[in-house]
Amino acid sequence: MYLFNLDQLPGQQSMLFFHLLARMGIEALVLVSPKIPLASIGYFQNAEEEADLQFCKKANIPVMRREVGGGSTYLDENQIFHQVIIRRDHPLFSRKISENYERFSLPVVETYREFGIETSFRPVNDILTKEGKKITGEGSGDIGDCFVWVGGILLDFDYQVMSRVLKVPEEKFRDKIYKSMQENLTTMKKELGEIPPREEIKSVLIEKFEKLFGKLEPANLTPPMIKEMEKLEKEFTSPAFLFKKTPRIPKGVKIREGVEIIYGIHKAKGGLIRAIQEVKKERIKEISLSGDFTLYPKDCLEELEGKLKGEIRKKSWLNSKIDEFYDQEKVQSPGINSEDFLKAMKVEE
Amino acid sequence: MTKVEDYDMPEELYYHQEHMWAKVEGDKVKVGLSDFSQKLAGEISYIEMPEEGGQVNQDKVVGRYETGKWLGKIYAPVSGEVISINEDAEDDPTLINKDPYGEGWIFEMKMSDSAELANLMKGEKAVEWLKGEIAKHAKEKK
Repeated sequence: MYLFNLDQLPGQQSMLFFHLLARMGIEALVLVSPKIPLASIGYFQNAEEEADLQFCKKANIPVMRREVGGGSTYLDENQIFHQVIIRRDHPLFSRKISENYERFSLPVVETYREFGIETSFRPVNDILTKEGKKITGEGSGDIGDCFVWVGGILLDFDYQVMSRVLKVPEEKFRDKIYKSMQENLTTMKKELGEIPPREEIKSVLIEKFEKLFGKLEPANLTPPMIKEMEKLEKEFTSPAFLFKKTPRIPKGVKIREGVEIIYGIHKAKGGLIRAIQEVKKERIKEISLSGDFTLYPKDCLEELEGKLKGEIRKKSWLNSKIDEFYDQEKVQSPGINSEDFLKAMKVEE
Repeated sequence: MTKVEDYDMPEELYYHQEHMWAKVEGDKVKVGLSDFSQKLAGEISYIEMPEEGGQVNQDKVVGRYETGKWLGKIYAPVSGEVISINEDAEDDPTLINKDPYGEGWIFEMKMSDSAELANLMKGEKAVEWLKGEIAKHAKEKK
């Protein structure tokens, strides 16, 4: 198994390279960072619906769709990607996908520990600090005859740009994402007050991954590989691939396992209802309701928001809370009932 | 229904090495993901179906699915034309988890060469193969 201990790669090569190796059937650990910022969307996402393409164009941030699952991410030089490419007949590959995540996360967890940050793997695909903040997100996929597992050490993170890269229905939603990321996503810089030398981090990563895979054989990018990546870049950035229709309907942004910002809009008889929620462990942490519907008494919407805050997102439970609100406040809402609120809140069960 | 350890494996079906099942009725073949595969992969969030009317070749990738941030592949067990897809499973891919051999079928095809069935596994051979897969993938690895 090879070790590609690379520096920063231009354009989208830091992401394209693992696709190339997997298609070529080359088993490797790749450590790499992007030279320029880029936005990456999951295979089941459509760039038009998930990324603010206008902003990305203005900020010179290319958008690429990857052959790996998951959601939108913002990538830049302050991340060290660790990408594992193994053939699916490799003894460490398991069709039990969760097991692969757990196994390959261990060297990363140990690396953070070596630098004084206590972390652990949290299914499905996160590495969290002991305070429960996400410090690494992961994804995987079958490409060619290989299984790839990818993630990144977060040295530092530009929360502002990440929240700008995402396509959002309204600015309020962007603020929520930004604030929630600040609260739930951390970096080595945040944890340690400074960023340890990049080469030191990489050498610890290599040492830890070698405990798993055995001695890795150093290898370098070759000119034919670069040529192949250029071809791949054309394929990956083609409108046919980037804007391919997928069955995934954007409903929000997952910040880390158990924390997501959900946006919903519902056209009821009595008007449009918009709902933005921050959901933590299936409970509504924050909620903001708006729209062009009418409630009597006026200004009682805040009471409803307060009533729903902290509650578990179960249809029957929330229904009873909304009914309580109607009774207590003697609310009238022509053409709107509790079902309509639940639809806007995307509460299905 | 044959059960191999915790995994259902109907004996009347053919099995492809990438864990697709094929139910053959004349020249029509209904295709889905095996119980073993869906159980190990986890809950399916999205699925990309093959194109209706499209020609597919045996062993080739005809679609994808996502579970737990992993992107998996759907293979054609035989060559032929895709004549229908399961729209219910496209809308709710967890049907594949809930009922992999029934409501969770994925697509149906018109087989172009029945001789290709010889490349698939059935009966005792399929059971032995699955036992090997269980030992390889469903047991704890150190």
